[in-house]
Amino acid sequence: MATYERYHCWSILLRLFHWMFALSIVFLVVTGFYISNPWTNTLLEGSASFPMATMRYIHFIAAYVFSAALAIRLFLYIFGNAQERILDILPVTRRNLNNLKMTFLQYTYLSGDHDERLGHNILAGLAYLLTFVAAVVMMLSGFFMLYPEISFWEGWGVLLFGSQQSARYLHHLLMWWFMIFAVIHIYLCIWNDCTEPEGLISSIFTGAKFKHKA
Amino acid sequence: MADNVSKTMNPQLDRRGFLKGCTMAAAALGLSEAMIPRLVEAAANAERPRVIWLHFQECTGCTESLLRASHPDLARLLLDIISLDYHETVMAAAGHQAEQNLHDTVNNHPFLLVVEGAIPTKENGIYCMIAGKTAMEILAEVAPKASAIIAIGSCATFGGVQAAAPNPTGAVGVQDLVSGKPIVNIPGCPPNPISFLGTILHYLTFNRLPVLDSLNRPLFAYGRRIHDHCERRAHFDEGRFVEQFGDEFHKLGYCLYKVGCKGPETFSNCPAVRFNDVEVWPVSVGHGCIGCTEPNFWDTMTPFYERLPMAKIPGGGIIDSADNVGKTVLGVTAAAVGIHAAVGIGKRLIKGKKEE
Ligand code: HEM
Ligand code: HEM
Ligand code: SF4
Repeated sequence: MATYERYHCWSILLRLFHWMFALSIVFLVVTGFYISNPWTNTLLEGSASFPMATMRYIHFIAAYVFSAALAIRLFLYIFGNAQERILDILPVTRRNLNNLKMTFLQYTYLSGDHDERLGHNILAGLAYLLTFVAAVVMMLSGFFMLYPEISFWEGWGVLLFGSQQSARYLHHLLMWWFMIFAVIHIYLCIWNDCTEPEGLISSIFTGAKFKHKA
Repeated sequence: MADNVSKTMNPQLDRRGFLKGCTMAAAALGLSEAMIPRLVEAAANAERPRVIWLHFQECTGCTESLLRASHPDLARLLLDIISLDYHETVMAAAGHQAEQNLHDTVNNHPFLLVVEGAIPTKENGIYCMIAGKTAMEILAEVAPKASAIIAIGSCATFGGVQAAAPNPTGAVGVQDLVSGKPIVNIPGCPPNPISFLGTILHYLTFNRLPVLDSLNRPLFAYGRRIHDHCERRAHFDEGRFVEQFGDEFHKLGYCLYKVGCKGPETFSNCPAVRFNDVEVWPVSVGHGCIGCTEPNFWDTMTPFYERLPMAKIPGGGIIDSADNVGKTVLGVTAAAVGIHAAVGIGKRLIKGKKEE
């Protein structure tokens, strides 16, 4: 019987980031779909219902939560604990490169070995980083669409995207990344939770993981 | 109607028409009533600035809409306050005489340059030649001597329909070729004559060009999204949409978003200023905005009756709506996840769970 020890892994800020991010995205995707293709048609005029205005309103509130979450993550990439800093997930050290290789072999069932480490494995870390970058693009294109008359957003938006329409198209296309990511992410969390008894899923609630006693 | 026609025939601008034109321009510029006398004074007294109007790759629709279709007083006011030294469509001179006028103004006087039409650049610009010279050569000769340049229409500003992918003639707008000169872009296909007149009157009255956005469009005309001033906006917010052209909702005047209206992505004063003196603009007569004042609208705003462009799958040559592509990729992902899980379970069944 192996013995396990409880290690503190994720700060409260990171867990806050995770749930702000995940929940806001659920709202953003649903309302985003509605904005893109409103599936209702208010047949009664003067019925005082504002489905489009309401959906957009929810989208924008969720967007602010989402943007705040991004600010938290940016802070943690620089000032977080050892597992949260960006260097911990970049494949630049020998240890990290080795972890990337081993994770790949493990995920493709080519090897049963698990490279023990406290933070994210490198494959996951890179996927999260990619998602972070995509999220920044969502935020920039979103605020450009929201505040087209503010010269700051107008200047940057035209420089980055060319026009409102191009920003909107990119915003719409990138939405699909978040859905695809969520499917893979939740699946792999469950998969890892089944394969390794480190308590991965509960770690995003409690901040603690369980590792073999040294 | 008959009255209108005879007025058009009368080349004289009366005082009433003059004031009316100035007032319309002042309204478009967002100037207070108190400013109208200054505008009138400037329009009446200023030394008429010389204007050279160059036509390149275009359809002359901008000139057409400026001089004919709209309020007759506007065109006459315009011709009254500027001295149009060279304009291929309306000048009386022809041949060498016309060239003479052009060179005389360019070399001896300060002038405003108006460009209508894109400039083809492929193969040294041979796709548009006037008097034996390419559009590129003419622009390179005239532009550096102009005090300011006004690019009128979506062709002169962003290249126009002829710049649509794959842009066979390499058509570009003025700002892509000319630097170091103040350039005002007045895009639109065609732009509202008031936006052009407003720019000229602003220049005459205040001796400087109006404030521009980062695409060099005057803010007084292009500072707001169509969607934010649209009379159908209440239907948008309350979720009442035309599902198909000609349906019940179309007859009721609901929002055209779902049949591809690009008002939410397009900056222009169309809903406020309207066209042709009969108070209409595309959306008011039941057709969605096609986004003609935006860069690359011929590529980014098409298909005109869909909200977003189609997604191209690189290499495959497949073109589909962005959402169909997304759904396919998501489906493939879900299938991959399923297979991955099945392989894992199968392996475990065969090998047994590794004991801790
Ligand atoms: C993962 C995050 C996000 C997702 C999945 C998402 C999704 C979407 C979608 C699908 C649309 C409709 C686009 C269309 O088809 O026309 C949309 C519109 C929009 N989104 Fe987002 N969005 C996200 C984040 C944001 C953020 C951070 C902002 C920042 C303010 C934002 C602001 C907007 C705005 C202003 C619109 C246009 C609404 C309108 O004009 O009616 N979005 N979003
Ligand atoms: C029921 C749903 C979810 C559960 C149980 C869950 C669980 C987890 C767990 C356990 C981790 C840490 C994994 C590790 O150590 O590698 C994590 C990280 C992460 N999750 Fe989720 N997640 C869920 C939904 C989502 C959704 C919907 C998104 C966004 C689309 C998301 C985005 C992320 C990101 C970006 C991280 C990395 C955190 C970091 O930057 O360090 N999660 N999640
Ligand atoms: S018709 Fe077009 S511009 Fe008008 S509210 Fe609808 S989407 Fe906006």
